[in-house]
Amino acid sequence: MSDIEDPHSSPPRRKLYDDSEDEEEESEVEEPGKKKPKRRHKRDALSRFLDIEAEVSDEEEEEDPDSDFGVDGFITKETDAHDGEDDDEGEFDDGRHHARVDKQRRQAEGSGGEKSAEEIARELADRYGRAGGGRRFTGEMSEIPQRLLMPSVHDASLWQVRVKPGREREIVFSLMRKSLDLEYTAKPLSILSAFQRDSLPGMIYVEARSSQQVSQACAGLVGVYPSRGIHLVPIDEMALLLLIKKVDAGDKVVPGTWVRLKRGKYAGDLAQVVDVTENGDEVGVRFVPRVDLNPREDDGPGGRKRKKGAPTTNSNSSARPPQRLFNYEEVIKVYGRNTVSKRGPVFVFLSDTYKDGFIEKDIKLNSIILEDVNPTLDEITMFSRNPDSNLSLEDGMVDLSIIAEASRKAALAVLQPGDHIEVFQGEQSGVHGIVQEIQGETLTITALGVDLEGQKIDLPARSVRKRFKPGDHVKVMQGKNAGETGLVVSVSDSNAASERRENTVVTFISDMSMQEVSVFSKDLREAAEVGNTTNVVGEYELHDLVQLDPQTVGVIYKTQLDSFLILTQHSQSRLVRPHQISLRKDKKDSLRAIATDRDSHEIRVGDMMKEFDGEQRKGRVLHIHQSHYAFLHNRDIAENGGVFVTRARSLVSINPKGALGSTGSKLPPGADLTKMNPASAGGASTGSLVGSTIGRGPRDHLIGAHVVVIKGPHKGYVGIVKDTNGVGLTGVARVELNTGNKVISIEKGKLHRKLPDGRTEPVEGPGATWGRNNSMGPPSSNRASGWGNNNNSGSRTPGWSGGRTPGGAGGRTPGWGNRTPFGAGGGGGGGRTPNPYASGGNHTPAWAPSSKTPNPYAANGGHTPAWNVGSKTPNPYANGGRTPNPYANPSSGSGTSWGGATPGQSAWSTDNSNDRAAAGWGSPTPADAGNGIGGWDAEIPSGTWSAPTPAFAATPSSPGFAPTPAIPSTPAGLGTTPGSYPNSNPNSYLYAYSNYPTDYSAPTPASAQSVYAAPTPGMGRRGEYDIDMRDEFHPPPTWLLSAHLLHHLPSLRIRILGTKHSNPPYLDGKYESLDAHILAASRVADNFEQTALIRLDLDKSPFANPATVDALKQEPSLERSFLTTYLHPVPPSSQDDSAIVLTGPRKGEKVKLRQRPDSGSQTELVVVETMLDSGGGSADGDGADGAGKAGGAFWECQKDWMCACW
Amino acid sequence: MSDAASAIIPPTKSRNLRACLLCSIIQTSADFRSIGCPNCEEILQLKDNPDRILACTTSYFDGMIALIDPETSWVARWQRTAKYARGMYAARVKGRVPEDVEAELDSRGIKYRPRDQSDQD
Repeated sequence: MSDIEDPHSSPPRRKLYDDSEDEEEESEVEEPGKKKPKRRHKRDALSRFLDIEAEVSDEEEEEDPDSDFGVDGFITKETDAHDGEDDDEGEFDDGRHHARVDKQRRQAEGSGGEKSAEEIARELADRYGRAGGGRRFTGEMSEIPQRLLMPSVHDASLWQVRVKPGREREIVFSLMRKSLDLEYTAKPLSILSAFQRDSLPGMIYVEARSSQQVSQACAGLVGVYPSRGIHLVPIDEMALLLLIKKVDAGDKVVPGTWVRLKRGKYAGDLAQVVDVTENGDEVGVRFVPRVDLNPREDDGPGGRKRKKGAPTTNSNSSARPPQRLFNYEEVIKVYGRNTVSKRGPVFVFLSDTYKDGFIEKDIKLNSIILEDVNPTLDEITMFSRNPDSNLSLEDGMVDLSIIAEASRKAALAVLQPGDHIEVFQGEQSGVHGIVQEIQGETLTITALGVDLEGQKIDLPARSVRKRFKPGDHVKVMQGKNAGETGLVVSVSDSNAASERRENTVVTFISDMSMQEVSVFSKDLREAAEVGNTTNVVGEYELHDLVQLDPQTVGVIYKTQLDSFLILTQHSQSRLVRPHQISLRKDKKDSLRAIATDRDSHEIRVGDMMKEFDGEQRKGRVLHIHQSHYAFLHNRDIAENGGVFVTRARSLVSINPKGALGSTGSKLPPGADLTKMNPASAGGASTGSLVGSTIGRGPRDHLIGAHVVVIKGPHKGYVGIVKDTNGVGLTGVARVELNTGNKVISIEKGKLHRKLPDGRTEPVEGPGATWGRNNSMGPPSSNRASGWGNNNNSGSRTPGWSGGRTPGGAGGRTPGWGNRTPFGAGGGGGGGRTPNPYASGGNHTPAWAPSSKTPNPYAANGGHTPAWNVGSKTPNPYANGGRTPNPYANPSSGSGTSWGGATPGQSAWSTDNSNDRAAAGWGSPTPADAGNGIGGWDAEIPSGTWSAPTPAFAATPSSPGFAPTPAIPSTPAGLGTTPGSYPNSNPNSYLYAYSNYPTDYSAPTPASAQSVYAAPTPGMGRRGEYDIDMRDEFHPPPTWLLSAHLLHHLPSLRIRILGTKHSNPPYLDGKYESLDAHILAASRVADNFEQTALIRLDLDKSPFANPATVDALKQEPSLERSFLTTYLHPVPPSSQDDSAIVLTGPRKGEKVKLRQRPDSGSQTELVVVETMLDSGGGSADGDGADGAGKAGGAFWECQKDWMCACW
Repeated sequence: MSDAASAIIPPTKSRNLRACLLCSIIQTSADFRSIGCPNCEEILQLKDNPDRILACTTSYFDGMIALIDPETSWVARWQRTAKYARGMYAARVKGRVPEDVEAELDSRGIKYRPRDQSDQD
C-alpha cells in the first residue's frame, strides 16, 4: 500500500496513518530519508514545494548534519522561531494556539515556503504583535438583541424594485459596483444598500432615503424595471424581508435522506445521506458503486499506471459500468491485490472508500439533488440488500419511512376525492374511510368501520395513506408502470414496522401482461377501467413496421406495457417484446417502397385500397414490404386491431386512378404530350406529387466516392461517401471522414468529388461531369431540388435532371440577370430572369422575348462559330435551334426559365457582335459596353468547354419532346450541327446514359461548345440564390501596392479598365481592356497618383478591341507606366488557374482553382487549393500550370477576391 | 458615504462564491485565499489557507446584500455588519464557524451569532 499512496495528495491522511499503522509508515518515512542527500543536490530553490514536509520532520528527528543547506536551514530556523515563541506565550491563549496550529499547517502544506523572510516576519508581527496592521475583530453589536435593531423612522426606507427574474443577483452586484465607481464623481449614488432574496424572484430591495435616489441608482441598468413602480416597503415589513427563511432543502438533509448525485459517473444514482458536515457544505453519502470490472486492456494489470490512469478512463468511458455492490474478491481479481487496501471494515480502492459494499463519499451539497428524488422500489431494495451474508448490517435495512418523507408531497398530489385511505398516524390512527374533499393539506373523509361509520373527519393529508385490499382493481398513476391496471393480490402492510409508513407496497397482477407488479400505494388509485392508452412503447409506436428477423417483418397492431402484438407479413399474430425486434423500419423506407396494384398502378402509403378478391377488405395502406406485401388498416375490422396484410397485387384502388393523380403512368386523355416522355412513362420513377415518389433507382453511385467538403464546419475534410439520402444538392450524404474515423451527414451541395488528378468537381449539379452522370443512380434526382417549380412538366425527364446540364450552373444566374443590363437586345426579359422560376408558368413574358431573340443572333453573330462559343448562353438554343425543344416547350416550367434567361443573353451577345465579333470570343467586356460588370469575360472557361459532358447531352436528347411549338419558332441556324443531337435516344434516359459518350463522339464543335457554354440561367438551383447575395469585392485603387502582393506582382494578370470613363479618357482610352503584366509597382508619396510599370500583353488580351490591338502593335514598346486606378485584377476563370488572393483572411496566398467557376457571378465561391510554394509565379503565360506546389488546404474563395496569374 | 474600506467585489458571473460564516461577506474563494476575509481575517486567518477557507466559509447562503454605506444603513445594522467593509454580504449563511473560532470568540467575550438566523432575540 505504501508505495501506492501518493505522498503529495493527502498529508492529513498521512498523519492519521502515522498513528494507526506505524510499522508500514515508518518504513516509508525512512525511505525518503535515505534518498535525501541525492535529492538535495538535484533540487533548486524553485522546485522544493511539497517535499519540504518530509524534510522538516526528518530533520527534527534525525538532526541531520546537512541542515545548513540553504532552503532547509531557512525552514528549520523558521520552525525554531515558532517553537521559541510557543514557549513564551504559553498554551492558555486559545486563539494563539490555534493560530500556531494553523501556521504550522500552512507551512506543512508548503505554501509558507514560498514566502520571503520579510514577509514571514511581517506576518508574525501582525499576528503576535497585535500592535500593527489588521483590525482586531470585535464583533461589535453582536450583544444587542435583534429586536432593538428594528428599523425606526429615522432610518432610510426600503424600496422594492422590479427586475428581470433571474437577474436579481447580477443587478445587486451592478448596483454595488456602480456605487463604488461613482463614489467620487459629481453624482455619487446615494443609496445605502441593496439586496435580493432568493425566495423573492423578480425583485430587489434598495435602501435609500427617497425613491428618486433609487431610480437614479437603477437608471441605465439592464433588467431593472423602474417603470413598474418603485414601491416603499412598510417599516414593519422591512425586517421580515431579511428574515425570510428559505425553505431550503439543505436543512432537510439529515442522515438517512435519499438524494441523487448530479454529476460524474454516478449522475442520477440514488444515494443515502450518512452524515452531514458541520457547516452543511458537504454531506457524506453512500451509494452503490459502479466499479468497472472489465477495464480496458491497455491499462495493464494493476500497478501504478493503472492507478493514475483509472479515474480518467472511467470518466471517459461512455458506457458506465453497471451498479454493483463492491466485492473485494472480484475487484482484486481484476485490478490486483495492491489496488485495494483494507482498513478495518473499510476498503479503499482508487481513492474511494467502500464500506459494506457501498461507496462512501463526501459530496458537496450543491452536487446532489435533494428535491424530487422519488426513489423507486428497485433502487431502495438495492440499498437494503445485504452484500455479504456474514456481515451484519445494523443499517442494512432500509427504513421506508424515509422515502415516504421525501415523497410526501407527491403523495398528497395523488390523493383524490373518492380514494380509500387509512390514517396511519395521529389520534385517528387506524381509521379508514373515503376522501370527501381536499382543501390544501386538510382532508375530509367519511370514516368507515364499526364505531365511526359515516362520520366526517378532518385530517391532515400527511397522516393518511391510500388503502387497498386484495381484489381491488387499481390503476398506476405515475412511475414507470403508469397506465397499468390490474387486480391487487397483496398489500404489504401487515407487519408492525409498516404501521407508520405512509406508503405500502401493493402488488397486483397486471391486466395486460398478466405479471405481478409491485408499486407504492401512493402511485395507485382504484379504477374500473382496463387497458392502456399509450400507443408508444419505447421507440416503437402503434402501426410501426418492424423487422423481427431477416425473413419476418410485421406491423404493430397493439401495444402493451412492455410488449406488442405484431401482425407479420404472413398474417400471423405474434406477441413480441421490444428486445425481440431487430429493427424498426424507417418510415421513409415505406414511403420509398414501390408496389403496384392489380392494375399496375402505383400504391403508396396512405392510399385507400380494396382487395380485389377474397374478403374484399378495404383499408388504408400502412406499409408496403418488398413491393409485395401491403399492410392495411381499417378501423372497422376488429381482428388484429384492424390491421391486415395482403398481397399488393391483389389490391385495387378505391379511388379511380388518374383523377387522383397518384399515377405517373397513366395518361388522362388530352394529357400534356410531354408526359409521353418515355422516362416518365417508365412508371417507376415519376409521380406528380413532388418528392413523394422519387424513383428509387439503383444504388446511388455516389456511394464510395472520394469527396472533399467545400463548405461548412467540415470544409476541407476529405472522406468517402457511405450513404446518400435525398437527391439533388440538398440531398444528404453520409461521409466517412478520412480523419478521426467520423461519419458526418452533409448536403451533397457541399461536397466535391475528388478526382484522381487532384482536381475536384461538384458531386451534384453543375460541373458534375460525365463520370458522375454516367453512373448516376437515381436519374430523377435533380428534380426535386433543382426545379421544384417544374414538377408537372415534361422537363422532369430523367434525362434532364440526370443530365445535370451545365445549366444547373444557372442557379447563380439571378446574379447575372440582375447585374447585366440586358435592355439592349432582348428587351426587358433579362432583368426578369429569376421570375420564371418563381412563376413556373408556361407563358411568362420572359419566355416570349426569348423566342423572338433568335433572329438577332442569327443576323449578327450567328455565323461565327467562335462567337457561339463566347456566348455561353441560350444563344445556342436560339441559334442552333437544336436544343430548344425542352426549353421552348411551352408546357414546361423549365422551358420558361430558360427562355427567361435568353433575353439577357441576347443583349449580351448583341454587344459582342457590335464591337468585336471578329476577335475570338469577341471580348464582350461588359465594362466596355458600359455595363459595369467586370467579369463576364472571365467567366468563359474555354478549358471546360472543351470537355463536353454528356450531362449536357441529356438536354439535347430531349427531342423526345419534339412536338412542341417552340421549334418552329426558332428557325435560325439549325443547320450548323444537325448531327450532334442524338435523337437516337428518345427512349428512357435511364438507360440512355451510357450512350451519351457515343453521341458525343462525333460532336460538331460549334454546337457542342455553344451548348455547353450555356450556363443555363434558367435551370436555377434555387438553393444557390443566397450565395449570390455576397458582396462584390471592389479592390481599392491602390490594391496593387498592398504589401501582401509584393512578391506576387510579376505574376499578376491585370486588366486595364475604366480608362474610357474618366474625363478626359485616360491616355485616350486606347489601352482599355488590355491585359498586362506588372513589371514594377511601388508606393509613392500619398499626394501623388500611384502608378505601376506594366507591359501590355496584346496577344493574350481576349477582350481588347482588335483594332486597338493592331494599332498598339505598332508601338515601339509595350511597357509603360500606368495609373494603378485603372489596373484591375482579373478573376481566375477556369479550373486549375493559379491566382493570388487579394483580400480576406488568407490574402497574399497563391491558390489554384480546384473547381470550375460556373457562373457569371463575381461573388461565386470556388474551391481553391493553397499552393504551398507561393512565391514562384512566373509570367510564362501558362496560368494553369503556374509554379507552386499543390497540396495545401482546400478552401473556398470568392471569385473576385482573387487575381489570376499569368 | 462612509469611508470604510471596500472589500473586493466579485465579478457578477463568478462562481465559487463563498460567504464568511462569521461576518457573512461574499467573496470568491480565490479572493478569500489571496486577501482573506476583510472583516474577520484577524480571527479566522483565511488567507492562503484553503482548509481554513473551507471550514470558515460556505457556498451555501441566501440573499445578496450590496452594502454601500454600512455606517448609516439600517440593513447593515440589522445584519450587524455596520462596522464592516463595504461589499457584498449574504443575508443568511448556513452553518456555524468551527469550534475553535467559537472558543476564541468566547474567550474574547464576543457573543457568536450564527448567520443562519437560527437564534433571534
